[in-house]
Amino acid sequence: MAAAVFPNLKYSDSLTVVGISVCTAVVCEAISWILIYRTTSYKSLKSSIDKASKKLETMKTDSNPSKLSVKKSKTKKIDRVETSLKESSRDLSLFKFKSGAVVALVLFVVFGLLNSLFEGKAVAKLPFVPLRIVQKMSHRGLQGEDPTDCSMAFLYLLCSISIRSNLQKFLGFSPPRGAAGAGLFPMPDPKSN
Amino acid sequence: MKERKSAKLISQQQQQLHQNGHLSPSKFAKLFDPEASWDKDQLGDVLHWIRQVVALVCGLLWGAIPLVGGMWLLVFLAISSGIIYGYYAMVLKIDEEEFGGHGALLQEGLFVSIMLFLLAWTLVYSLTHF
Repeated sequence: MAAAVFPNLKYSDSLTVVGISVCTAVVCEAISWILIYRTTSYKSLKSSIDKASKKLETMKTDSNPSKLSVKKSKTKKIDRVETSLKESSRDLSLFKFKSGAVVALVLFVVFGLLNSLFEGKAVAKLPFVPLRIVQKMSHRGLQGEDPTDCSMAFLYLLCSISIRSNLQKFLGFSPPRGAAGAGLFPMPDPKSN
Repeated sequence: MKERKSAKLISQQQQQLHQNGHLSPSKFAKLFDPEASWDKDQLGDVLHWIRQVVALVCGLLWGAIPLVGGMWLLVFLAISSGIIYGYYAMVLKIDEEEFGGHGALLQEGLFVSIMLFLLAWTLVYSLTHF
């Protein structure tokens, strides 16, 4: 498609992959909004997670009481709020999982379409030599031994993660920070030790 | 009397326009105000978007020059993290302990920014040099 518009560019197919990724991201978020984000169940779960995580933060940052009995009851309260937060996070994940099956189907179909269009073809040139383990995806289905040839699968992965994540963030559909598993590199809370 | 009322109405309408705007003058001023108070979510969002902008700019730049080699990914990480650290520690002057420590602040939007950087770098490099 892009090859017809930009015949001089050797890797114009990369623009096709990016364009399809953008459209897919918009469609997936639209489906997610219809099935998940506009429902009252999701809104109430998200609200309870936000409240619980803020309450937990306040309780943990309050000055430590000197009396042992007060400290014990405070610890019990913190445990109760943490348990409630974990339960709400679990319910939210389960709720999103059920509706996310439709989104997964769309992504699967689009990936299949792109695969049929660009199988065996390098759609871009990487400006670096990827690690061996990454090459399994970046050089997937390609002829030759040049590790900087980029397959559709790797470019699509980069597009999906960067475009879709930022679109979710922009639209306000990102998971709440208090939810379990939020953040790729979750750091332990120093105050809980 | 009528003139004073209409002037007041115009001023109120202007204020409303500023408040409804995506980035009103007061919100923009808060981004550089060390006296402003920050919610964890608000600060996290700002740091996320700063990372994305840096990733996009670096990716476009690295791809256009071009800068080739895995080392430049590490250079990007250093620049991006340096900017984020400089922003929250020196511009906003916040106490990182209140927001989960340096780790929590530095990891906001990190993975997505790496993906965005790689995407921009690869695309610009492929399209402009081949």
